[in-house]
Amino acid sequence: MALAIEQTTSATRPARRLQLRQLGQRWLPWLVPIVLIGVWQLAATLGWLSARVLPAPSTILQTTWDLLLHHNLLGDIAISTRRALVGLAIGGSLGFVFGLLNGTFPLSERLFDSSFQMIRNIPHLALLPLVILWFGIGETSRLFLVAFGVFFPLYLNTYHGVRSIDPKLREMGIVYGLSKWGLFRHIIFPGALPSILVGLRYALGVMWLTLIVAESLASNAGIGHLTMNAREFMQTDVLVMGIVIYALLGKLADTIARLIERRSLRWQVGA
Amino acid sequence: MSIRGVELGLRGLGKAIANRTILHDINLEIKPGEFIAVIGKSGCGKTTLLRLIAGLTEPTIGQVALDDSPLAGLNPAARVMFQDARLLPWKRVWENVALGLPGLNADQALQALHQVGLADRAYDWPLGLSGGERQRLALARAIANTPSLLLLDEPFGALDALTRIEMQQLVEQLWWAQGFTAILVTHDVEEAIALADRVLLIQNQHIALNLPIHLPRSRQRGSAEFAAIKDQLLGAIFGAGYPLATRVVGA
Ligand SMILES: Nc1ncnc2c1ncn2[C@@H]1O[C@H](COP(=O)(O)OP(=O)(O)O)[C@@H](O)[C@H]1O
Ligand SMILES: [Mg+2]
Repeated sequence: MALAIEQTTSATRPARRLQLRQLGQRWLPWLVPIVLIGVWQLAATLGWLSARVLPAPSTILQTTWDLLLHHNLLGDIAISTRRALVGLAIGGSLGFVFGLLNGTFPLSERLFDSSFQMIRNIPHLALLPLVILWFGIGETSRLFLVAFGVFFPLYLNTYHGVRSIDPKLREMGIVYGLSKWGLFRHIIFPGALPSILVGLRYALGVMWLTLIVAESLASNAGIGHLTMNAREFMQTDVLVMGIVIYALLGKLADTIARLIERRSLRWQVGA
Repeated sequence: MSIRGVELGLRGLGKAIANRTILHDINLEIKPGEFIAVIGKSGCGKTTLLRLIAGLTEPTIGQVALDDSPLAGLNPAARVMFQDARLLPWKRVWENVALGLPGLNADQALQALHQVGLADRAYDWPLGLSGGERQRLALARAIANTPSLLLLDEPFGALDALTRIEMQQLVEQLWWAQGFTAILVTHDVEEAIALADRVLLIQNQHIALNLPIHLPRSRQRGSAEFAAIKDQLLGAIFGAGYPLATRVVGA
């Protein structure tokens, strides 16, 4: 059927239509945001929206540009990013290691798992006042909270990933003479990786959320510091910019995690 | 044919799992390079026997001897081919073969793939392989290290009839060329007769029949001798009820 249709119409038209459709597929999701921003800009320019409530997108861009040039905005972004990553490195690697241990050794699992499961039920942001009491308002508190928050997604998913590896594959590895390290490197780690990466993506979300809360409480630098000052001086444009930057950083982290996922899990699609 | 297979002795071997006797007083001497087939009804302990020989499980009583020294722990001479191919989907075809090779030797892995006719898929992922190709790959992995003992646990049970015959010929060829000792567990009586120097029947926890097959290779399944041996084996399995029983069981 398809062949017959192609032969009766001119050869170029279906091809052109296909191209248009692909273009539409790619850009269609952007249509609504672009229209919304357009309406927002229009509303602000025509004075329907007070700048106190929501400044125009153009104003926010202008502010961003000024801050970049004159107020070391990049420095603040770098500080926030560093905090996020250090917290992730500490909490994430602990979660990963305990996930491996508990997934592998029954003794370790008996010893730790139920405790972790209990602590997991505490919403970690609820610890904020306590953490401040312990460590004071400072870098340690912020890092502690981020590390605490990302520990559990990585722990749970690593543990689950290790546990879900087919024991028959492990047995095969043993018969084929793999050492303990060989078993880990060739079977356990790659087998658990899809689950670990799910945990990582989830942890990235927790990481930014925790940082935003921790930074907005008290900071002498970073995006949170910027937005808190802005609130005091009622600079709505800076506030909105801060929010957008958080969103972009979160999106960036997720995109990177996705790329890692796609690269290291190529075997799943067989490409 | 160069014989460098291992000599295997099963001496008073017994295995109980959870207080239930699975195998009892198994005695058998296997010559280097001999091809043994093990048949028996499902659940009779064929896999358990292979696991004992592979050193994956300890005998409750008795011992497995390798070239006359008792086996302790994992059998270093053995390679196992399982019914499910047990491939690592996250490793490319050649890497799966290289898994059991010292230093993950790529040349040796490609060589083994070549021997099973899978060289052109060396750089693909296992998920793209067909059932027959997966078992070819598992076979390449098993022979890559030129083992002196190959244990096959119903490796072709899940394959279609044509692919199965192809794989049987391949195993026979490799065995002929490499001279390893082979123990093939199968539920296919014809497969056992076509390939083995000796067919063992396991029944009631022990070796109920130990039948040498003297047909010249490669064996013609249509021949009268072949059919006579098959009748003999089926008769031993099903007893007096046999000719009728096969029609029901073999349906
Ligand atoms: N790990 C185990 N735990 C309990 N029973 C087992 C275990 N392994 C095997 N068995 C039992 O031992 C018997 C023989 O099993 P198996 O050797 O796998 O039989 P076959 O391979 O001949 O089908 C079966 O009845 C099976 O249920
Ligand atoms: Mg079995």
